[in-house]
Amino acid sequence: MRMLFRLATGTALALAVVISVFPFYWMLRTSVAPADETFARGISWVPTRFDFSGYERAWETGGLGSAVLVGVVQTLGILALQLLTCIPAAYVLAKVRTRTTALALAVVIGSLLVPSQVTLIPLFIGVNLAGLSNSLGGLILPFATSAFGIYLIRQQMVSIPDAVMEAARADGLGHTQRLVRIAVPMAAPGIAAFSVFSVFAHWNEYLWPLLIARSAELRTPPLALAAFQQADIGFDYPALTAGAVLVTAPMVVLFLIAQRRFVQGMSGTEIPG
Amino acid sequence: MRDASPHRMRTREIAPMLMLVPAGIGLALFVVVPAILAFVASFFEVPLAGGDWRFVGTGNFERILADPAVQRALLNTLVYSALTIVPSLVLGLALALLTNAAGRAKPVVRTLLFLPMTANLVAIAVVYSWIFSYPGGFANQLVGVFGIPPVNWLGDPATALPVVALVGVWRTASLTMLIFFAGLATMPVAIDEAARAEGIRGLRRLWLITLPMIRPTAVFATVLAILNSVQVFDVINVMTQGGPLGSTETVLTMVWRIGFRYFDLGGASALALLLLVVLVAVGVLQRRTLAGRTR
Repeated sequence: MRMLFRLATGTALALAVVISVFPFYWMLRTSVAPADETFARGISWVPTRFDFSGYERAWETGGLGSAVLVGVVQTLGILALQLLTCIPAAYVLAKVRTRTTALALAVVIGSLLVPSQVTLIPLFIGVNLAGLSNSLGGLILPFATSAFGIYLIRQQMVSIPDAVMEAARADGLGHTQRLVRIAVPMAAPGIAAFSVFSVFAHWNEYLWPLLIARSAELRTPPLALAAFQQADIGFDYPALTAGAVLVTAPMVVLFLIAQRRFVQGMSGTEIPG
Repeated sequence: MRDASPHRMRTREIAPMLMLVPAGIGLALFVVVPAILAFVASFFEVPLAGGDWRFVGTGNFERILADPAVQRALLNTLVYSALTIVPSLVLGLALALLTNAAGRAKPVVRTLLFLPMTANLVAIAVVYSWIFSYPGGFANQLVGVFGIPPVNWLGDPATALPVVALVGVWRTASLTMLIFFAGLATMPVAIDEAARAEGIRGLRRLWLITLPMIRPTAVFATVLAILNSVQVFDVINVMTQGGPLGSTETVLTMVWRIGFRYFDLGGASALALLLLVVLVAVGVLQRRTLAGRTR
């Protein structure tokens, strides 16, 4: 009975793993299969020979090459601005207790609850009026700060003992120095988790760039891929899946090297080992 | 006598307030003011190019709700949510529990099961479009093994919504699994051991011990699953563009179409605001979990 139970759960788990991984496998397989094998009858699990020309077509024709560059600039630009705005605010909300900071914390938590879809249209109008539509500024600036970032980093800074802060103050360190020398190093895991989350969220963002980037040169990776699919290129699945690999791979790599921070950024909690 | 301390007090107060300013400006400009404007705009006719807004009262809501395409989108969103929320939660919890019991394979299994959550949604939509393409996609090759003729999965109004919902479950179950996994990890081992010593096992233990213990986690996972389902956009916009015949049109794809294809920003704001009503209800739930986490 016990054996049977183990066998059943083991099989279920194995099946779940296969279903989770299969689309990734199929994406990779198609991206390196020669075009004439793409539509072959019957299921071919492994291509008979490898053909990487799909990557070239995705990079050149599909515009993924320039999109990757835009994506990197946009993602890192947003991250830099967010860290600059969120870390000082998180410090104050964690370590300075006044009526103003209590109110500010309430505003941050309130902002967390506002879904981005609700602010979408006014933001779009505002960005248009500011003359920033179809520009890098329009892609980056609306995300210059993040309520989630403030909240996550603050949670980490709250756990720094007040005694440590008091001792630093007694040593004559001002707020700025306490922030840079004590709070930032001690909150490093939370800052890392938020950075992973932010890079992940903005590299993958689709709806906002779809509204802002009207010219092809300003397309971000997801946007370029979607445009490539909707363009009339017939059904060049090797090139399309190659494009999908190019968009997906950086984030999968990020996940693999920073899995713990990734989980922390997604769930707000840490998992052991 | 005036000593320096009141002055010093004030400078000490001003420095931290300055640190709040950049984030404060950001949140005000990009979250708070737009949220208020979204509310206001839903009662106005809003010209895209700027210029005067014309007050139309509840006209936007009436016009939007009378539109059969919008009614269809609301219904589709309900069906999509019904098809994705509960399966994602049940699968996510089951996979988290199974992975926890997987012994030495646990780290590898966990990493592989997290993968769907790391994928770019547009890329995944492209891959699934290929898997479900007609007539030569993998799904049709697979049913062909059982002698079933090819199905036009994404081209048939009867199958398109279930197929995009399937992609939704594939993705969301991975996310809820991660949340449950993190929640289970915080469960004190002592309680588990006590339950074991009392002879409480299997489904009874799940029901009596595990679920009550991870209740905040379960609420959080539910909130995320609801948010993901109600706001589905990327996958549908790439896989079906809301078609065929509006059969996969959802609230958010409709907001996008009304606002940025028909340039009816007042109408789109009104529809987004209706979405907000649902999200606020969910947000109340989320706020309770967040408050629980602040402690």
